[in-house]
Amino acid sequence: MRLVVAEDLYLLREGMVRLIQAYGHQVVATAATGPETLEALRRWRPDVSVIDVRMPPNQSDEGLRAALAARAEMPGLPVLILSQHVEQLYARELLADGSGGVGYLLKDSVFDADQFIGALERVADGGTAMDPAVIAKLLSSSSPSRGLEQLTEREHAVLALMAEGLSNQAIGRRLFLSDSAISKYTTSMFGKLGIVDDEDTNRRVRAVLAYLNKP
Amino acid sequence: MRQLGTWTGRIGVGFVRSCVVAVVTMPAPAVWAVAVAWAIWWGAGNPWSWLGPFVLVCVGTLGLSRPVCRLVRSLVARWTGTFIPAGYLEAGPVVRMSTGYWWNGFSYERSRRDAVLDQKWRVRWKDPAVWRDVRFTAIVPFAAGVVAAVPPAGVVAAVLGLGQPGLTARLAGVLGLVVAIATAPYAWRLLVPVAVRFLRPSRAMAMTERVEELTAQRADATVAQAAEIRRIERDLHDGAQARLVALGLALATAEKLMETNPDQAKALMREARGGAAASLAELRELVKGISPPVLNERGLVDAVRALALDVPLDVAVSADAGLRLDPAIEAAVYFGVAELLTNAVKHAQPSRARISLAQDDADLIVEVEDDGRGGANVRADGGLAGLRRRLAVFDGTLEISSPPGGPTRVRMALPCDSL
Repeated sequence: MRLVVAEDLYLLREGMVRLIQAYGHQVVATAATGPETLEALRRWRPDVSVIDVRMPPNQSDEGLRAALAARAEMPGLPVLILSQHVEQLYARELLADGSGGVGYLLKDSVFDADQFIGALERVADGGTAMDPAVIAKLLSSSSPSRGLEQLTEREHAVLALMAEGLSNQAIGRRLFLSDSAISKYTTSMFGKLGIVDDEDTNRRVRAVLAYLNKP
Repeated sequence: MRQLGTWTGRIGVGFVRSCVVAVVTMPAPAVWAVAVAWAIWWGAGNPWSWLGPFVLVCVGTLGLSRPVCRLVRSLVARWTGTFIPAGYLEAGPVVRMSTGYWWNGFSYERSRRDAVLDQKWRVRWKDPAVWRDVRFTAIVPFAAGVVAAVPPAGVVAAVLGLGQPGLTARLAGVLGLVVAIATAPYAWRLLVPVAVRFLRPSRAMAMTERVEELTAQRADATVAQAAEIRRIERDLHDGAQARLVALGLALATAEKLMETNPDQAKALMREARGGAAASLAELRELVKGISPPVLNERGLVDAVRALALDVPLDVAVSADAGLRLDPAIEAAVYFGVAELLTNAVKHAQPSRARISLAQDDADLIVEVEDDGRGGANVRADGGLAGLRRRLAVFDGTLEISSPPGGPTRVRMALPCDSL
């Protein structure tokens, strides 16, 4: 994969580049400010990029804005947003266009390098990688009329993992269940929530997120 | 018909109020009249005849001033809702010294009673508010009392005139009645501007009060800031710092064990990673409490939106576009809204809430409303009182209406140019 890494702190940026290269991926450009990030995304159209939310010049949400602007110009351009804190507000903005290829994780997620690179690959494939904390908040703050309370505990767990962006196999591995059991859960869950079941993982996740993200 | 009813009502109320104003303002002129009569009775020939009446005028006016002013203030507040602050000097504490004497801020006295009495008179003598009251008591009979006396005088004329047989007398009676009815709704109103003009604290008094208020606020703010810094230090000391030490220890041990016991080394590394994640989570919470990142990144409105998304409630946020505020005010408002939402969730069990942020010419108005069970009130050491104190630093105010059964409505107003 060809990547762009946008992060203003030198230590973190270099550490991230080293980690990504250690997994055999190529970092084609790095950026340390919002405008640089947008420039790099336009120029390289990377398979996926890792972008910090807060960057110079204003130390506000420059990175997020650059990512949103780039995705408005190039729909579906895969971006993974990293931040020291996760906000539902930002997650909703990232998911609003419904075109997939979006990740939003805490910076701590780099601690588990395998999972982090896995998330990057998923996003590059047009999938999603959402922070569990955001998903938990999305699930708990959706209004009760949505039918979420009809789900069993297991179905709830499957829904949360699915919303993070995991495939059926990955969910099965996390919950120590077989693929067929997972697909049984998803079918019953989708039935209760009224989401059209779909074989394609990405469309399925997007359906779940769109469902959670409804105002 | 209804209009006739309201007219009669207004005339009745106005008449009663005019009578009250006339009665309240007249004691001082009555005393002066007595003094004049006294002086005339003693005769002009006696060179000392003016002395007694003069003392009577002074003592009478001074003695009447405070009750008259207090009455006028409460009448104006009750009739028009205009609150006129009295602004009297507050007496300081009277304390017993180690010598056994009592110190009242001015002098030492043998007993507590003497000290308090001495202090009372000294404070009265020094207090500009007392002299302002005297001035008002002397002015108000002419400025408001005479006009307020017109309706009762008209009624008196009507009663006297209509009771007599002559045509002129009757005409005068009718005229009196007409004047009384026509002036009744308006005659008492002159009291309000006169009271507002002459009874409110002078600039110097207002300034003194403001200085005292600011001194108290500065003390509050200093104490609060020191406590906050201590809390942050304690959190860092017991949290992140301790965790980093443990992290270093685990890494050092893992390095040592790498050759001899790779499995245990790996386990230690995993543990270290967990520790790093935990300390990050702790720091994140700490940072959120000091200065929420979303507030720095997005400003007040989006930060409040983010807050609204995070509470387990249906919260509608409405805000004026282009709200531009000072960061310090934004932080105060943000933490205020956060506290109000937390309170609502904790105590009122609401199902939905509404937050609105609006800016008018001078103030930022923030309203937080929930449909919970209400019954919230401001206790001296409670969270709402603390919030009110924090807003007061910016000359902001907090009003709450929370009848039992709900809904709870809180309104915060902050002057935008207070920094």
